[in-house]
Amino acid sequence: MTDRIAIKGTSNGLIITMGSGDWQGLVEELGIQLGSKASFFKGGRVALRVGARQLTPAQLAAVGETLNSHNVSLWAVESEDASTRQAAALLSLETDIGPAKSHITPPRVARSNADSIVTRRTLRSGQIFRHSGHVVIIGDVNPGAEIQAGGDVIVWGKLRGSVHAGVKTGSEAIVCALHLSPMQLRIGDVITLPPPDDAQRDVIPEIASVQNGQIVAEPWRG
Amino acid sequence: MSATVITITSGKGGVGKTTTTANLSAALAACGKKVVAIDADIGLRNLDVVMGLENRIVYDLVNVVEGTCRLRQAMIKDKRVDELYLIPAAQSRDKSAVKPEDMIAVVDQLRDEFDFVIIDSPAGIEQGFKNAVAPADRVLIVTTPEVSAVRDADRIIGLIEAEEKGPADLIVNRLRLDMVKRGDMLTTDDVIDILAINLIGIVPDDEKIIVSTNQGRPLVMENGSMAGQAFRNIGLRLMGQNVPFMSFEQPDSFMKRLSKFLMG
Repeated sequence: MTDRIAIKGTSNGLIITMGSGDWQGLVEELGIQLGSKASFFKGGRVALRVGARQLTPAQLAAVGETLNSHNVSLWAVESEDASTRQAAALLSLETDIGPAKSHITPPRVARSNADSIVTRRTLRSGQIFRHSGHVVIIGDVNPGAEIQAGGDVIVWGKLRGSVHAGVKTGSEAIVCALHLSPMQLRIGDVITLPPPDDAQRDVIPEIASVQNGQIVAEPWRG
Repeated sequence: MSATVITITSGKGGVGKTTTTANLSAALAACGKKVVAIDADIGLRNLDVVMGLENRIVYDLVNVVEGTCRLRQAMIKDKRVDELYLIPAAQSRDKSAVKPEDMIAVVDQLRDEFDFVIIDSPAGIEQGFKNAVAPADRVLIVTTPEVSAVRDADRIIGLIEAEEKGPADLIVNRLRLDMVKRGDMLTTDDVIDILAINLIGIVPDDEKIIVSTNQGRPLVMENGSMAGQAFRNIGLRLMGQNVPFMSFEQPDSFMKRLSKFLMG
């Protein structure tokens, strides 16, 4: 049984590695394992490793509920499959279990090889997209939606929600969009509330960055 | 026969879900389809009131789910139209009395017998909404041209996409042409710009809706109202017909034409 589900304790919480086989069966088995050692797991936080498995947001949400019912919270899903990572990001789960917490000075993320995520969908009100690397959205980011990115944010569409870029890289991060009109824009620790959209203004792609401690948006003219 | 199950929802309350459910159900039935409307707003039922069938309720949805009556016994036939039925919500219970599996089971029993099952969802995104959406084949989102309603509609569309029930269709309800012309109201284009889903109907604001709701007689049962026509058109589109959107320009009255003529 144990080769299908491996549970390992790390300084970063529990990591559960899901093996191969029918997903539904695995989730049920996980539930049984959690139930049998309820006091051990209680109140813990768990990261899932699912390998190359392709999972939908609904499937991940269902696992989250199974874990929750045993008082365990799911905080991350690590997968080699891009659509699974997107599904996890959409549920505000981390996609990178990352180094153990004892790393006091995390290596600076080099812009060229930082983990990026590309998602082709519109983010709607109430959806929070969280990722430790760069985020590229091909679609709109609607008012009420939120992006939190470790690095840069690129929106190929209208950006009207809230963005926090540079959660890890700080004020070096940039945010660009075909139509940059966010509700709130944060880069690193700098925060700005852009002026309300001016209907008269031409819509042109813009790029926002921190200059002299302030967020500045400049038109993009290739 | 295999029914199309359509859930009418919105997120925000008071945008016209129940009125839409009553009118679309009646419009489809008037076209000869066999229709059952289900009120999923348990504890705050009012589809029966809008449809004018309140006084005939004996059993309700919760009775069916709990097995205290047969499904057939809870179905009220609307005598004004052929083949229109209502399954009312319970008044005395709350949303936790029904689970999504229960809704799927009830609707599956209706699929063979009906052309359309129309479910009126409660406002909000909690249990009642989940119950209403669980059995749906299609979801219609009702919004009014107000920023708050559009924001909630957007949230709902996101939830429906996550449930893999999409793509949903949009009804823009209670559009006030005079206000749109003055630039005081969001236009349909503004709403579509944000929500970016298929528009299936635009219903103009119409005082007659209030009267018909109070009388318990869906507006589509009478001719001569723009809102009624708009709901009939949505019904036709749901049946797969390609109906152009109404232009809401009222034909100028005689006096108006006369004054235009005189004033040049």
